[in-house]
Amino acid sequence: MEKCTGCRRCETACAFYHTGKISNRQARIKVLNLYETGIDGPNVCQQCQQRYCMNCPVDALTLGSNGQIIVSPTVCILCGACEKACPIGAIELFDGFVYVCDLCGGDPRCVKACTENAITYQPDITEKISLADIKNQAGKMNPSQKRHFYLNQLGVELRKKWSKHHG
Amino acid sequence: MGKYGYGSKILRVDLTHRRFRIENLDLAWIKDVIGGRPANTKRLAEELDPNCDPLGPDNLLIFGVGPLTGSLLPASAYCTVTAKSPLTGILGDSAAGGQFGAEMKLTGFDQITITGQADKLLYLMITNDAVEFVECPTLAGQNIVRTTAAIRTEQKDHAVQVAAIGPAGENQVLFATIVSSGNRVHGRTGMGAVMGSKNLKALAVRGRQPLLVADTLAFLDEVTKIEQKILQHNEYQKRYHMGTTMLMQDLNGIGILPTNHFQKGACEYLDEISGETLAKKYKVKNKACFNCNLHCSRYYITDTHQAEGPEFETLCSFTSRLGNRDLPFALEMNAYLNQMGLDSISTAEVIGWIIECQEKGLISPTDLDGLQIGWGQTGKIRVAVEMLANRRGVGDRLADGATKLSQSFGPEAQTLVMQVKGLDIICGDPRGIKAYGLTYAIASRGADHLRAEPYFELTERRQEAKKRFGTEKAAQRMEEEGKAALVTYSEKISLLCDALTMCKNIGLCMDILNFESTAALLQAGTGVKYSPEYLQEITHRAVKRDHELNKKFGMKNEQDTLPERFLKEPLTQGPTKGSTVNIKKMVDEYYQLHQW
Repeated sequence: MEKCTGCRRCETACAFYHTGKISNRQARIKVLNLYETGIDGPNVCQQCQQRYCMNCPVDALTLGSNGQIIVSPTVCILCGACEKACPIGAIELFDGFVYVCDLCGGDPRCVKACTENAITYQPDITEKISLADIKNQAGKMNPSQKRHFYLNQLGVELRKKWSKHHG
Repeated sequence: MGKYGYGSKILRVDLTHRRFRIENLDLAWIKDVIGGRPANTKRLAEELDPNCDPLGPDNLLIFGVGPLTGSLLPASAYCTVTAKSPLTGILGDSAAGGQFGAEMKLTGFDQITITGQADKLLYLMITNDAVEFVECPTLAGQNIVRTTAAIRTEQKDHAVQVAAIGPAGENQVLFATIVSSGNRVHGRTGMGAVMGSKNLKALAVRGRQPLLVADTLAFLDEVTKIEQKILQHNEYQKRYHMGTTMLMQDLNGIGILPTNHFQKGACEYLDEISGETLAKKYKVKNKACFNCNLHCSRYYITDTHQAEGPEFETLCSFTSRLGNRDLPFALEMNAYLNQMGLDSISTAEVIGWIIECQEKGLISPTDLDGLQIGWGQTGKIRVAVEMLANRRGVGDRLADGATKLSQSFGPEAQTLVMQVKGLDIICGDPRGIKAYGLTYAIASRGADHLRAEPYFELTERRQEAKKRFGTEKAAQRMEEEGKAALVTYSEKISLLCDALTMCKNIGLCMDILNFESTAALLQAGTGVKYSPEYLQEITHRAVKRDHELNKKFGMKNEQDTLPERFLKEPLTQGPTKGSTVNIKKMVDEYYQLHQW
């Protein structure tokens, strides 16, 4: 997030790779630009400890070999339970489909598109982050509101650092 | 045609009756203007009554994007806003990058035209098939980022993009701006005042329509070529590090950095206000427009202020142009002007002109309700700008701009306004950059560099100059020969940049775009056949369209000139010492090339 300039190249590349179209609405990684604080940052599935989204009433979601969420479009009934469960808005229904990061089969296009090295893919990291705190606070927000809330939280530390930089 | 590139719809909004209509884009109509600025100008020329009051309900405010806006093409998500300018009374337009253009594109609207006048302050929430007229009394007097955040919160969607006016636009300061993406400014010619006169606080857009390109592989191929050209450009590091603020050092070095309102071409305190100093002491990170791989903008923090920017024009306007060596003050002004919605160049011109006139005894403090300002007097500048933004006291007169304000003073004071056709000159002294001088003189929105941006004359690429323009002198800044040819070339590339909605720092200054690459991009993107020759022809026509439209607004050819200072008064020091501009000769040559 320190390096993110808010250009959304990751978003554009993600949507293009998956759909063959320029359609940022269908991206599985979503950048928010918070103009009031200068914070920009991408939001994407963090493969959290809790895997809140997996609590699917029809078991349409499974885990892939890279830890990614796989949605079965034939089983999925578009009930929105996964969208509601995710605390950071990283899984979302749009136009009759569930959008979540699939890691592009282990070769994420967003990482390649980012000229700033702001996004990295680290398959070797075994320690998973916990989103329990965020989950408690996110309440009944919609995915966009959850992304906004999460990025603001993450931005607090960075803003402290910026203030120090200036002294 | 129509399936690719374009969203293929036009949105017509009537604020008086709170009605909207969606039309299909006539693809035959748009072919010879492509999109963006030239398409907006064509629309204005066809539909506007040239005698209308620019601040009345009949003025036509147009937001336009192009067929490749928000595509994979880097740095190509500008949006152009066009209307009759309240500042100059002629063609007005202004483009800005950021994120707004890309999101507008996803709504499927290639153009949004706005007429009428709302009875209450409102904003438009525009989605693919609907417009909501949202009354917003609580946003009255609010700045840009608060307006943006409030609309996003109300819409429960933080990806909504907003183009808004600040208090200056609501007060109809004649050079008020429209600001999108928090700090991306449609700065020139007072488009914010037009929006303010319509009681329209903001346009909010959220789209969902995918953009298809005709030949994906060919398009990707062209995009990759352009991305590589940008990454491998010899100015990449410098531009990445400082963006346009690099020009502080560059222009000071060659003696054309406006200092004390163009009385000097360099300042001795450059190190205190340079792009390098800004980057080292206050920048905390790079920022970028949609899908750009140059990331040339920046976010900064000072003791009292933080914001995105500034670009060179604002930085120079509030440092050397006003004799100010206090960089944090300039950064404060950048934040203030962007959030209030004021054009930094025109604001600085009013202040700089007053200071010079007072220094010369042409204006006394009593002429301006006691207002007295000297070079670099930051406290007094701050107060004057605040009064101007709010049209308070004498600020009400300052808010009409230097040209109109000067009309209540004598001829000597009037000639000291650094303007062409009522638009204030940018920061670059034409006595040392002759092609820029010609550009200021002929530009169809008044003194402005972006109509041609002949940065090439600063490059010393003499062989290339001979090849393109028939003389090595086209690449030498002090020469006048070959400059009309350079400008007629550059104004066409400028139009292509504006039609593709590409950033001119990249497309033109970095010499990335040309007729061949544009033809290939357009053909792959839209599926319509575009040849380099056809692009030459239609851009030539577009320049003429501007010229003819301005005649309908009452412009005369003899207004294609420069302020007297640049023609008669040489600089006395530095690398541009002794030079003046023979503008008549260059303008005549330019007219000949256009066969006007």
